[in-house]
Amino acid sequence: MPEINTGTKQGAEFTGRTKNVTSYRTWQFSGGWPPRDGWPASNVHTDDRFAIQSGLPARAASGAMLQGYIAELLIDLFGEVWMSDGSFDMKFIAIVPIDARVTTIATVVSKEREGERMRFNMDVRCEIGDGTPVAVGTATGTI
Amino acid sequence: MSSNVNTDQLEAGDELDPLDLHITAEFNESILQSIEDLHPRYMTTGPDHAPIVHPALLIVFSNLTRSPSFRLIPGAAAVQTHDDVRMLKPVPVGETVTITWKVIETYERRNRPYQVMDTHIVDPHGDTVLTRRTTNTFMAGKIPMPVDIGGS
Repeated sequence: MPEINTGTKQGAEFTGRTKNVTSYRTWQFSGGWPPRDGWPASNVHTDDRFAIQSGLPARAASGAMLQGYIAELLIDLFGEVWMSDGSFDMKFIAIVPIDARVTTIATVVSKEREGERMRFNMDVRCEIGDGTPVAVGTATGTI
Repeated sequence: MSSNVNTDQLEAGDELDPLDLHITAEFNESILQSIEDLHPRYMTTGPDHAPIVHPALLIVFSNLTRSPSFRLIPGAAAVQTHDDVRMLKPVPVGETVTITWKVIETYERRNRPYQVMDTHIVDPHGDTVLTRRTTNTFMAGKIPMPVDIGGS
């Protein structure tokens, strides 16, 4: 059941489930498919050496992983219809280190009638640790 | 297509080679586990639909690094800094989608190259299921990390 309804007001804030970016989950997410010989594929998310060689301090979570967390929150809020008419626009502003705990937050900015439905415009962000933002942006969804 | 060119050298109008991606239940579940989202909609058949592919799978496997023609010099990496995603249609598990990439803009800011890429994911019925407009930068060891860095 979607958590947002037509009575949800501007400024309402919703927090998603906290995620743990473990080393193995990062391999699973960014290591490629299928997991055959040579898995995980070497890249800035799976391999410290590769990451350092590329100029990063260490391997880090993929921005797409953060997008997956935000998608989960938006589907919780708007229901499965979000996968047919939703959007999100994210800027990645900081590295997410291995073993970080990530929290997703969505805030209602405005809402507008769109035919039979109501479209909500949201601010969305991912934070790690003590509230440091790592990805920020906007999203839309309808009910 | 631009199979013989390093991806960071592609310019507006250039395309990466497309990818056909078959999404099995095991493939989808691997991504579900990695992002800790084990909602039944992604694993069980509902009253009117098959299990659905998680949007995270569509996004991570449509990063430009997944194109068969993606390539960079050793020691370089593509890093996503910005992504505008439109969700248009859920994808049932078991389908094969086709992913295409086209460069729409390149620019330089603070001595760093940026490349804006349009990505389309199309299902076997010819329907577009997801579009992205993604900005990537390219890093190598001696180039300092940008402020607006993310991941790809």
